[in-house]
Amino acid sequence: MSVISKSVPVNTKATTQCSTDMFTRIVKFSPRFLLALLILPVLGGLISVLLPAFGYAPVLEQTTFSLQGFNALWQTPGLTQMVTLSVATGLISTLLAFIITLMILAAFFNSPWLNRIQRLLSPILVIPHAAAAIAVGFLIAPSGMISRLASPWLSGWELAPNGMFPHDSFGISIILGLTLKELPFLLLMALGVLAQPELGKKLRQQHKVALNLGYCPMTAFFKVILPSLYPLLRLPLLAVLAYASASVEMPLILGPNTPPTLAVAIMHWFNDVDLNLRIKASAGALLQLAVTGGLLALWLAGEKAIKVLFSDSLTNGVREYGGFYWQKITVVLTALVISFILLSLIGLVMWSVAGFWRFPEAMPEQFTLLHFKSALMQMGSPLFNTLAIGLVTTLFAIILTLLCLESEQLSDKPISRFTSLIIYLPLLVPSIAFLFGLVWIQQLVNNQAAFFNVVLTHLLFVLPYVFLSLASSYRRLDPRFAHVAASLGAAPCKVFFKVKLPQLFAPILIAAALGLAISFGQYLPTLLAGGGRIATITTEAVTLANGASRRTSAVYAIMQMVLPLIGFILAWGLPKYFFKSARV
Amino acid sequence: MQSSLQIKNCQLYRQNELLLSLNEQVNGGEILTIMGPSGSGKSSLLNWLTGTLPSSFKANGEVWLNGQNIDNTPPHLRHIGVLYQDALLFSHLTVAGNIAFAMPKGNKKQRLEKIEHALEKVGLKDMGNRHPDNLSGGQQARVALLRMLLSEPKAILLDEPFSKLDTQLRVDTRELVFSQIRDHKLPAIMVTHDHSDADAANGKLITLSSAL
Repeated sequence: MSVISKSVPVNTKATTQCSTDMFTRIVKFSPRFLLALLILPVLGGLISVLLPAFGYAPVLEQTTFSLQGFNALWQTPGLTQMVTLSVATGLISTLLAFIITLMILAAFFNSPWLNRIQRLLSPILVIPHAAAAIAVGFLIAPSGMISRLASPWLSGWELAPNGMFPHDSFGISIILGLTLKELPFLLLMALGVLAQPELGKKLRQQHKVALNLGYCPMTAFFKVILPSLYPLLRLPLLAVLAYASASVEMPLILGPNTPPTLAVAIMHWFNDVDLNLRIKASAGALLQLAVTGGLLALWLAGEKAIKVLFSDSLTNGVREYGGFYWQKITVVLTALVISFILLSLIGLVMWSVAGFWRFPEAMPEQFTLLHFKSALMQMGSPLFNTLAIGLVTTLFAIILTLLCLESEQLSDKPISRFTSLIIYLPLLVPSIAFLFGLVWIQQLVNNQAAFFNVVLTHLLFVLPYVFLSLASSYRRLDPRFAHVAASLGAAPCKVFFKVKLPQLFAPILIAAALGLAISFGQYLPTLLAGGGRIATITTEAVTLANGASRRTSAVYAIMQMVLPLIGFILAWGLPKYFFKSARV
Repeated sequence: MQSSLQIKNCQLYRQNELLLSLNEQVNGGEILTIMGPSGSGKSSLLNWLTGTLPSSFKANGEVWLNGQNIDNTPPHLRHIGVLYQDALLFSHLTVAGNIAFAMPKGNKKQRLEKIEHALEKVGLKDMGNRHPDNLSGGQQARVALLRMLLSEPKAILLDEPFSKLDTQLRVDTRELVFSQIRDHKLPAIMVTHDHSDADAANGKLITLSSAL
């Protein structure tokens, strides 16, 4: 009797300790794993682009270093135009999105309209770039919604005109598409900062102090809020700039072809049947890296310059810079942005169900579900791929993120600045520059596991967002719950699964929905890592956007929007459902 | 003309529940003290006076400042200075920058001299280039006071301004604030929990009951 009662506790203790150790070990190891997972592919990819760029490509039986890739690159007709187009579209769209974001924040700070605008714009976040590009393309096309609404009463057009949009050689369509897509992202990032309990409260109070001191609300925003807000917006801004200067979806769908942006040209060279073009493409990838790097440096220098130029005016006591007119301008601009977005979405939906639709009519004459039916018939395998890749990637990203955040709490210190910067790495390095190198490596290592390669590559882009989305809720978790549980004898493992995870149910679901949305929207990584063999809704949509019928293209773009939307609706709805059942 | 802040027939509601009604005139140099438990509408009264009453509250009545009705004046044009519980200094500006921010625009050199002089008067000589986060609580409170005074307000509201300071500091800071109010002959309304604040103000005291 006594033997049993003694041996049992000893046994349980031994097993708990063992599992505790295992759990703690895994948790403590996870940040290093995260770092490796992010750094190795990006760096490896960059190196594998660097070598061929200088002529070293054993696959092509080139083993001597030379500058032939660069020579070929410089001789490309229109190279200057390509670079100019990339720089101009990237910089102008980022600036526009940023300025409009600031104007909206300044004009509607502390006004109920800010919440309304946020609610209107946040669904845009989940729309993949390709779908947004298709929608904007439809809006500004010669027979698009704008021209239909203006015809014939204003424009006098009875037939669709020969317009320059989209695909205009100045890149205006690209700028429009990128601005409309990045504006909601920046606005929501800023609102996220202002929603932080302590900082947000302090900034709102300081804004009130400035009002009491006689500052017009917009001036108060720029002189009091912006200097504290900007440092927290810098990384998202740089990510937007890097993306805008090197993305391929938007320029492919909205940009000119002769010549296209640099990133699109590089993609064409890489995918050319003439494998020798890959040397030139690698050189191009390095050029893209320099272009994006240069833009980021230019942005940071501009930031410094503005800080120096305006440091005196912060305290010069001027309280009013025509705020009344700026307020009006902002209201008009906001209305314009929102109506642009709404019109593109309405146009998209109408095309997807349109039967016969004569030009100046604003509405189709017949509605039909035929396009949906026929598209859905062919969609089976891309849909399965999209979901499978998205789910596997997201699941992995969530688990890894949770382990890393738990390690932060177990070791009682936040992850290093280095790590938090590295998490942004895949968002700051132009994907076109390292993805091709990564694909070369992947082909060296294993040629067959296309699905695995795609998942791994998606992970690079899903992880940062999942991490950022989960980190704030995880760190805000009241540590006393864990302390109470630990004092009741619960092992770290049990605390994690039984105390922390249930409390984080809702944020985990939101992060999962975000991860899925990011994965669903990936074009270039899917195309490259899958070797063109794995079709998803997004790759199909981009392929269809420039050729096939506008109606089929619309259906695919809508599918691209619906999938992430379902994810988010589930993420919002499930916790309510569960908590409700728990209460009953 | 003597400056004055006048509250005419103010009735403050929170979702149709009457919180307080008030009819008062405060003349320049006088301090009206309002006491009452939390939720009795003290802070909302101040918000109403500055024109920043949250939409969950409703108020009737008129505010007159130096003989002018300011009911429809937007908050930033009312010229009412407020001191809060927290100093709320701007952390992206230096001490001098915080004060310069509040001063009317003008000649840069004159403004700097004025700041230097003002800092010296409250015992913060040569602290102009310091960062506000590195100051002690009492120093921060004095900078907040200077910032408010040099914005040349026409009336002053004190929203429990001393409640975060410890006893001795509290007495000193209160003495400084009150003497400045009297020197500048500004009408002031103070909201507080502390009877010693009310005693030191040496003005009319209104005690609000908790919501009816």
